[in-house]
Amino acid sequence: MGRVASDPSPLDPSTPGTSPSAIRLEQISKTYGSISAVDRLSFDVHQGEIFGFLGLNGAGKTTTIRIILDLVRPTAGRAFVFGLSCREQSLSVRARIGFLPGELGFYEDMTGRATLKVLARLNDVIVDRARQAELLERMQLSTRDLNRKIREYSTGMKRKLGIVQAFQADRPLVILDEPTEGLDPLMQDALYELLLDTRRRGRTVFMSSHVLSEVERVCDRIGLLRRGELALVSSVPDVRKMAARQVRITFREDVKVDSAGLAAELPNNCEMVDRTPLAWTLRVRGPLGPLLAAAARYRIEDIEVREPHLEEVLKTYYQEQTAGR
Amino acid sequence: MIRRVFVLIGHSLRRVRAALIVLAILLAGFQFLLTQVAAYLMRRNGFNQLSDFIPDFIRTAVGPEGLAFMSFGGVVSLGYFHPIVMTTLVGLTIAIATETTGEIEMRFVDLTLARPLGRQTLVVRTIVVLVVAGALMLVTMMAGTWIGLSCCVPADADPPGAGVIVRLAMSLATVMTCWAGITLAIGVVSRRRAVAASITGLLALSTYLLDYLGRAWEPAATISRLSPFHYFEPMAVITTQSLSAANATVLIAVGIAGAIASYVAIGRRDI
Repeated sequence: MGRVASDPSPLDPSTPGTSPSAIRLEQISKTYGSISAVDRLSFDVHQGEIFGFLGLNGAGKTTTIRIILDLVRPTAGRAFVFGLSCREQSLSVRARIGFLPGELGFYEDMTGRATLKVLARLNDVIVDRARQAELLERMQLSTRDLNRKIREYSTGMKRKLGIVQAFQADRPLVILDEPTEGLDPLMQDALYELLLDTRRRGRTVFMSSHVLSEVERVCDRIGLLRRGELALVSSVPDVRKMAARQVRITFREDVKVDSAGLAAELPNNCEMVDRTPLAWTLRVRGPLGPLLAAAARYRIEDIEVREPHLEEVLKTYYQEQTAGR
Repeated sequence: MIRRVFVLIGHSLRRVRAALIVLAILLAGFQFLLTQVAAYLMRRNGFNQLSDFIPDFIRTAVGPEGLAFMSFGGVVSLGYFHPIVMTTLVGLTIAIATETTGEIEMRFVDLTLARPLGRQTLVVRTIVVLVVAGALMLVTMMAGTWIGLSCCVPADADPPGAGVIVRLAMSLATVMTCWAGITLAIGVVSRRRAVAASITGLLALSTYLLDYLGRAWEPAATISRLSPFHYFEPMAVITTQSLSAANATVLIAVGIAGAIASYVAIGRRDI
């Protein structure tokens, strides 16, 4: 008989040290012949956070995940999960992970129920039925759905079944490869709620994605992979700060100043995007104070500040990648 | 860990149970049918007539072993080395032994190996399923023969003893073991099940033909030793009533070597 899934036990009592990173990669490289899939990748995922792993198709996201799961062996470097080596202590590592693959290889002639049952029994813990039922309810998989063969499932239903099997053993670390692929917007919301609940309960989530809006919505930090190399690791607010905010100032009366005069008036961190006699639209990097001081000379009607989206920063990185090719 | 291995075994057996049951019934039916054919020929004095039709030079060429199947016991035993039976059993072995390759190809293995299961568990699971499936086939075949011999057989017939039937089945088991090992070894280095199964299937066919060639054409006799079927001699079992330990050792050794190779290789490859 196995243990019943309960609170996370990320570390064996015998493991020295306290509170190691949920995931730690040290100079991980993987080459296939002359092709480098991942190149000297190093970063940490902290316990209790939701970490978004971003990159274009073929950037090396799935390869990295497969290295963590010991499905793929790195050419160089080491990977750790809760301080345990993914290579030498692979079984202990995988006992701490719930995994949703990007490609779901379910047997099409099995029912959803039989699939969940087999996958639950392959764990070293007994899956809590109440937990499974809650997940099924969240993912709106009915008894009737579970009794159907998987060949009758839509892509979204397969994904929902995949999500249930990944979360049902309630592991301290959940790794999700493109989790919202094929999910309708309502189910995407349900998944985001599940992720936030998972974090609230002290678990760690590592998810790969190329959907920037979802990463922005749920992730605490992101890592951006570009051609197998890590281009950026940062918190989502910090990444946002790297982008310019858009500020629109409307005036009560026409502002009569020529371009040269305006250039002299505006602080260095501002760039004029659009200008009419009654309104300026600017891109501002950093603090707004100098701009407000400059604009205060005129009679201001309103100021509208639009916070930058993650997408604006990351697209820059993606474009650099395209340009670098 | 043991519990989880049994979960995998149960999963695999559930998946193939329908095919196993159908094949077992067909093979048992075939054995039963052969006993009835033998009985029919016996009643019609067919064996003597068949013997009279064979020219002397063929008698000389095939020898006493070749002529042994022209008897009641020979026809009954035919079911343990008939090409249809051999093809079915080797085909079944290949299908089961490539299961892990199929799971790697379809990515089901991503779901199983993301759990605390050793990679070698998959090979162990396949070996157990092979043993269970092989045993089921051979036991039902023997049951078919036994049922056939228990009824509707002429009183003056000289049926093969239970020992001969068991040894013939064991001889078939050694061939299946050999091909299971070869398939496991080929499968574990392949990414596609169809490729692994095709390569092994073609290898089985070509070595089967090579063995025939070696038996019929002296210059090919040496090279035919490379064929696993060279070490499968059912006629010798019928005539000598014993299973060659040397032949069985060669076939089982190849099977074990293949299983060990696959056990080691799956631990080293990228999934």
